Amino acid sequence: MKLPVSLLKDYVVTDMSPQELGDLFTMTGFELEEIIEIRGEPVLDINIMANRGDGASIVGLCRELLAKDPTAVATPLLERLFSGYALPDDESRDIWEHATITIETEECSRFGARLFRGITNGESPDWLKRAVELLGQRPISLLVDLTNFVMFETGQPLHAYDYDHLHGHRIIVRQAKEGEKMQTLDEVGRDLDSSMMMICDADRTIGVAGVMGGLDTEVSASTKNCLLEAASFDKQSIRRTRKRLGLHTEASYRFERYVDPEGVVRAINRFAELLQEITGVKSVGGVADVYPSPRTATSIRLDLKRTRTLLGMPVSLDEAATYLTRLGFTVEVNQEEDSLTARAPSWRDDIVRQDDLIEEIGRVHGYEKIPEALPIGSTPLGGPHGQHLWTDQLRAAALRTGLNQIISHSLRKETPLDAPGGLIPLREPGSPEHAFLRNSLMSSLAEAAIRNGGDDVQLFEMGRVFVPKEGSEGLQPYGETRSLAFLITGDLDAPTWKKRGDEADLFAAKGVLESLGIAARRSLRFDKPVTLDPRLHPTRQADLGVGVFGQIHPEVASAMDLPEMTFLAEINLDAWYSSEAIEPTHAALHRHPALRRDISVLVPSTVAYEKLEEAICSTGGDLLESHWLFDVYEGKGVPEGHRSLAIALVFRKDGNFTDEEGNQARDAIVAALAEQGAILR
Amino acid sequence: MDPIAELRQEAESAFSSAATTAELREAEIKYLGKNGLVTGLMKGIGALSAEERPAFGQRVNDARRHLTAAYESRYAALRQGELALQFEQDRLDMTLPGHPPRVGIEHILQQTTNEIKRVLGSMGFVYEESPEVELFKYNFDALNYPPDHPAMDAQDTFYLRDDVVLRTQCTDLQGRIYEKVEPPLRFFTVGRTYRNEAVDRTHGHTFHQVDAFMIDEGISMAHLKGTLGAFARAMFGDEVRVRFRPDFFPFVEPGVDYAISSPKLFNGRWVELGGAGLIHPNILEQHGIDTDRFSGFAFGLGVERIPMMRYGIDDLRNFLENDLRFLRRYA
Repeated sequence: MKLPVSLLKDYVVTDMSPQELGDLFTMTGFELEEIIEIRGEPVLDINIMANRGDGASIVGLCRELLAKDPTAVATPLLERLFSGYALPDDESRDIWEHATITIETEECSRFGARLFRGITNGESPDWLKRAVELLGQRPISLLVDLTNFVMFETGQPLHAYDYDHLHGHRIIVRQAKEGEKMQTLDEVGRDLDSSMMMICDADRTIGVAGVMGGLDTEVSASTKNCLLEAASFDKQSIRRTRKRLGLHTEASYRFERYVDPEGVVRAINRFAELLQEITGVKSVGGVADVYPSPRTATSIRLDLKRTRTLLGMPVSLDEAATYLTRLGFTVEVNQEEDSLTARAPSWRDDIVRQDDLIEEIGRVHGYEKIPEALPIGSTPLGGPHGQHLWTDQLRAAALRTGLNQIISHSLRKETPLDAPGGLIPLREPGSPEHAFLRNSLMSSLAEAAIRNGGDDVQLFEMGRVFVPKEGSEGLQPYGETRSLAFLITGDLDAPTWKKRGDEADLFAAKGVLESLGIAARRSLRFDKPVTLDPRLHPTRQADLGVGVFGQIHPEVASAMDLPEMTFLAEINLDAWYSSEAIEPTHAALHRHPALRRDISVLVPSTVAYEKLEEAICSTGGDLLESHWLFDVYEGKGVPEGHRSLAIALVFRKDGNFTDEEGNQARDAIVAALAEQGAILR
Repeated sequence: MDPIAELRQEAESAFSSAATTAELREAEIKYLGKNGLVTGLMKGIGALSAEERPAFGQRVNDARRHLTAAYESRYAALRQGELALQFEQDRLDMTLPGHPPRVGIEHILQQTTNEIKRVLGSMGFVYEESPEVELFKYNFDALNYPPDHPAMDAQDTFYLRDDVVLRTQCTDLQGRIYEKVEPPLRFFTVGRTYRNEAVDRTHGHTFHQVDAFMIDEGISMAHLKGTLGAFARAMFGDEVRVRFRPDFFPFVEPGVDYAISSPKLFNGRWVELGGAGLIHPNILEQHGIDTDRFSGFAFGLGVERIPMMRYGIDDLRNFLENDLRFLRRYA
């Protein structure tokens, strides 16, 4: 809403600067967006809250100003606009001889009209043109400018019809029929439906109620006689219609925020008076006013003790009563009970219960007076717990492995790195680029890898993924799980002047996974997949039990423009957290020296190392403190289909290990390995 | 010539002619070692008379002491020279860059989230999460949205179906908590929200929000202000002040927009941080909470807003693009 400062001074006497006025409005809740300049004059551009239609007018904003600043004084014009705007012929019903108005829908609560005859609809006088321009509108003609001006002044949208084009001199307000059509003022044909409210004459639709008038009955330079409408329409109906038609007008802006039905006659009369001042034309036959069930306001009791408790600052009963009165409430004070009863003014449909009144009192008293206090009472143990805490620890562990964290969009298009099983689509995506919810973090990792050069990157992400199955209560079939994924390719170290880094390979990536497993205190399997993941290299992938891991499939690598030596893993964190926790247990640290024995065995390549390791551990038992594989060799000197493995064994016990005992322990392991097909070299 | 004096002279000359500490060590072993020549002199003591022996022994010991001192001083001199040479050879350009260890960069939004979690957690707010694909009822109905509120438009909200949306605010957690937890309570979340908006420097369809709320006996706007003040000071510095301005959100009454200011920040201007207020009594009643006994507050803010304010980041798109040049700057 544009509020020209020079215009404001016709209504309020104040010596505040434009900035001070803007700050004051901001502190009432009507935020100053900016001070703009029109015709070289300062104009406040004010943001109107969605529940405060009354603020979209000069009168409404002046009321806020006067409530907030007791030193400002209303001019006689504003006083008159506040109190009504009676004209001598208000009681006349003669207009009904010239026009018939009927309301056939509950979504119109009031319809008022006046008839003017013998008008010359020329240019507006300069003061009106200036006012309309300052209010952000383009001057068009006297009748149009005047309807606009009175709307901005009072908040009541008006519409002027060319009386001579009104068939049957009739107005009917009703719901549109399915498939009805009309042409609006902007010369666009509109398809209507039964949810929309229409203004009709005897034969046809002449306006979309509360949104825009029709072309057929538009006032023009040749208009001589004019029927002026001021009506009150249901805010939700107007919003719905406005949305369906994609039409946003100053009228619909106000109606969808609520327009005071009690202000209908005031606006018509203000228009009539101004028209008479400018042209001498008087309205004919008074006001036609159809108002089937006048609005009633209920009384709300306000307890001042509760007011002070909720606001957290002292406010006296007198202050509370004064503030509400200034805002137009009818107030009765009960000193004994320290309470009051207030009836909200007709222009405030947002006041329905005690706490609404408390907000009004707080707003006027000033939120700057609220002191800061910390809550007392029971304090729970704050912060993350359970899985959330575990997730935080796991994220820290991922960072320690050298992976860089990314956070990326969950709304995406389809890519070859989506997990099998399909994506959940948005019903009305804003763009094909974000039409689906991701079901895997791999595609965003790939995208980020490419953004960062496509090679020598190590990235991870933790976030939600969405699968079109299962889902929690009420949300079926929209499954949502927390996921952790990483992508590793190229040099593991940052480029440096002294080469020492390694190119990532599958086992470097596996090492990252294993170290995450240690931090998570959860186990990971590296099983041969029952169903292959099509995103991964078919013979270089593992089923983690709670996820997948492997080298990227060469075809996918090529499609995504990633190196073939790219390694990916993704873990379902909800499943992993729920799996059995591995809690560390204590073992005594023996102080006797350890004994190391290295063995080298020849094994058929078909024997998985895991099998050998199981044999080593179960045979070594408590004596085997640690073991590690320190060489894998295939090639010259090793028979085809075999590989040579070198394994270090470290034995220790509570007591000295003799060489003989060491050899025995080693030999037992060698014998166990032999059962798996391994031959000592 | 006296054999002691002779040997002493010979040893002195060997020590002083040694050019390196290694040569000197050899000479030392030769003369002063366990089986060295000085020790060897003592073998001649047997040929002396009982009267002569003490004087002879004394002289050998004097010679040993003298030679040991001579050796040590020569050694120190040689060692010093050798070290000086070695240090000269060891010289490195200390300004060459170090090799960075393999440590990952934590995303700037994550760092901000961690800070928020630490601060609110320390104030007794329990961290909880809610789904991003959310039931319409938790996103709107449970939060006192009137039917047909503009925020429910498909132009504003992504729908999966009529009753399922991508949550537009993390406030959805409130209804979920009220169903499970009786007051008094304090909770917060940090999560991802979605709005159907065209993407530009200051708008995105995906962003992150903090939402915190508490319910207890006698909770007031002053407690809200105090909590926000403590939070804002923890995030932005000790001198930060909080200002409330009336605003409208369906789920709070009174509703405010809160701004912060500090002499050290934003040129002393008030900068809006988010929305807040007392939890709307309709919401408390809807969830069976006695509004005569309990009241509560809620506040929210955008996570992205914090680093944008701190560092002057002016393009929202930076956050989810994952350009390491951007992320590394705030590592």
